[in-house]
Amino acid sequence: MSVIKVNGLTKTYSETEVPVHAVNGIDLTFDKGEFAAIVGPSGSGKTTLLNMIGGLEVPSSGYVEVSGQDISKLSSSKLIDFRLYNIGFVFQAYNLIPVLTARENVEFIMQLQNWEKSKMNNRSAAILESVGLGKRMNSKPNQLSGGQQQRVAVARALASKPQFILADEPTANLDSKSTTQLLDIMEKLNKEENITFIFSTHDQRVVDKARRVINIDDGKVVSDKVKKGVMSS
Amino acid sequence: MKMLIKIAWRNIWRSKTRSAVVIFAIVSGLVGGLFASAWMNGMAQQRVQNAFAVETAHIQLHNPKFSENLDIKKTISSTSEKLEEINKKPEVKAVTSRLIISAMAATANKNTGVNVMGIDPVKEKEVFKLYQKIDTAEGNFFESKKKNAIVISKALAKELKVKLKSKIVLTFQDYNGEITGGAFKVIGIFKTNNTPWDKTHLFVRESDLRKVLEVPKDQCHEIDILLNDYNQAKTVSDELQMEYPKLLSEDWSLIQPYLKFISEYMDVMMGIFMLIILGALGFGIVNTMLMVILERTKELGMLMAIGMNKKRIFLMIMFETIFLALVGAVIGELISMLLINYFGKTGIDLSSLAEGLESVGYGAVSYPVLESYRYLQITILVILTGILASIYPALKALKLHPSEAIRTL
Repeated sequence: MSVIKVNGLTKTYSETEVPVHAVNGIDLTFDKGEFAAIVGPSGSGKTTLLNMIGGLEVPSSGYVEVSGQDISKLSSSKLIDFRLYNIGFVFQAYNLIPVLTARENVEFIMQLQNWEKSKMNNRSAAILESVGLGKRMNSKPNQLSGGQQQRVAVARALASKPQFILADEPTANLDSKSTTQLLDIMEKLNKEENITFIFSTHDQRVVDKARRVINIDDGKVVSDKVKKGVMSS
Repeated sequence: MKMLIKIAWRNIWRSKTRSAVVIFAIVSGLVGGLFASAWMNGMAQQRVQNAFAVETAHIQLHNPKFSENLDIKKTISSTSEKLEEINKKPEVKAVTSRLIISAMAATANKNTGVNVMGIDPVKEKEVFKLYQKIDTAEGNFFESKKKNAIVISKALAKELKVKLKSKIVLTFQDYNGEITGGAFKVIGIFKTNNTPWDKTHLFVRESDLRKVLEVPKDQCHEIDILLNDYNQAKTVSDELQMEYPKLLSEDWSLIQPYLKFISEYMDVMMGIFMLIILGALGFGIVNTMLMVILERTKELGMLMAIGMNKKRIFLMIMFETIFLALVGAVIGELISMLLINYFGKTGIDLSSLAEGLESVGYGAVSYPVLESYRYLQITILVILTGILASIYPALKALKLHPSEAIRTL
């Protein structure tokens, strides 16, 4: 069952003298529970594609459907609500709220969704435990390493059980050990929670872990490969 | 909402130096504004209270035609009965009557025009506090029973070149229109904060004056009433006007409109003063919050991206601005309160300006006063300033595009 359907998606920046087609007529579908990586060189349109799937940018043409709903037609305020309830974001620079503790950061989206306090506390504790930060719940971002901060960001994205998670270069600022830990955690959570993960990356370690690799260049899909054994699983 | 408040509060302390600068500016502005207002307010209140204590009391009754030119024949009849009736009113603290006549005061050196107040010293002391304005070295307020005693001001004594035990001859027209007069011995010299008033008013016993004026018994020119609460003056005055329709009842604001004017003027001045200060602080806060938005563009973009709607972004910035202003307000008000209380007890001595101040009715030592409700008013004004100052930065934040904001360095 497809969670996301991308149809004829195009993004053209016309501010420059020569219009730039950052994304040029992409068609894709993502099923529930996928663990997919969008790869390509810098400027190939990975982030723009991810932003349009996440409703952060409006396509020039084409559309994005999430569970049958065309999000391109939503007003900006409805789009914010849509993102709140359906999408988890993990950013390259972690982007945690610096004045909140790890636990408060994880609970932030749940608070915006008006979760019941006890359920929220249980969920945040469990998810921080599962990313290996059970003992650092009360630490603020500046007291955590880069890898730990990114694990909090993953926990935050997952905590409210969104339909899918968009991760833009999540390992770009991490060392090798932290990258491996983070990928293992994300893979584990993907399987446990059956939540779709879509990464944009040019980190080979992410590509190795991904079960589907979409290669794009000049805003077009060059290849879309599902790794062997994945279909059967 | 709780989370927004928590984030807003903690955000203030992210850049401690910058917040401290803004808070210091708010504290300085408020301390300066509140203290100056309290000082002006204290001076005005002292002026009003001094006037009540020595010049007007709270209410005066006259024959309606008396005030026009102090006509000796325009008296109030059945004075003792009226004094008794008025004294029974629960709002009335004390009441007294006076004979008043324009006279020429003369000594061997000089003469001058004055208003002679014929008083009953016992009742007078219950209503007016002039007796407290006599220095012990300068005699007393009719403590001895000696006849033809007179109490004059220091300013008049200087003008007439007299001192204690000196004689002053008063000349005036009596009840029958005949020119008459008498010699009075100075037994007390007072000094109030109102030099012009001091120079034109002197006091003798009513019984002494009645004898030379030949005013019929139980008649007076003025009834002075002191109330328990001067705010009731208008109500009680209106009641008395109904009860004594042939007399003219006036409260202090009608007797000396200037007193009412300075009370109201101080209110308006303080309002304008605080609005200017808070306005200036508001612009400072706007500037700081714009810097905050600029610095946190990426963070705001992230918040929008993960689903924080515009209303919540707006509220978060507004709370942060209000908290910043409130911290300054609380500290500023506490410091102001301490300063005002301290100087309210010790007073601010402007003796070097005494002559000028007293020539317009103000004392040389002033005591700052600020009513407690003023602090509440200021707190509300500061919150309003915070809300207004947050609007522009918050609107700036709302214009951010999340995907572009996240990409900023």
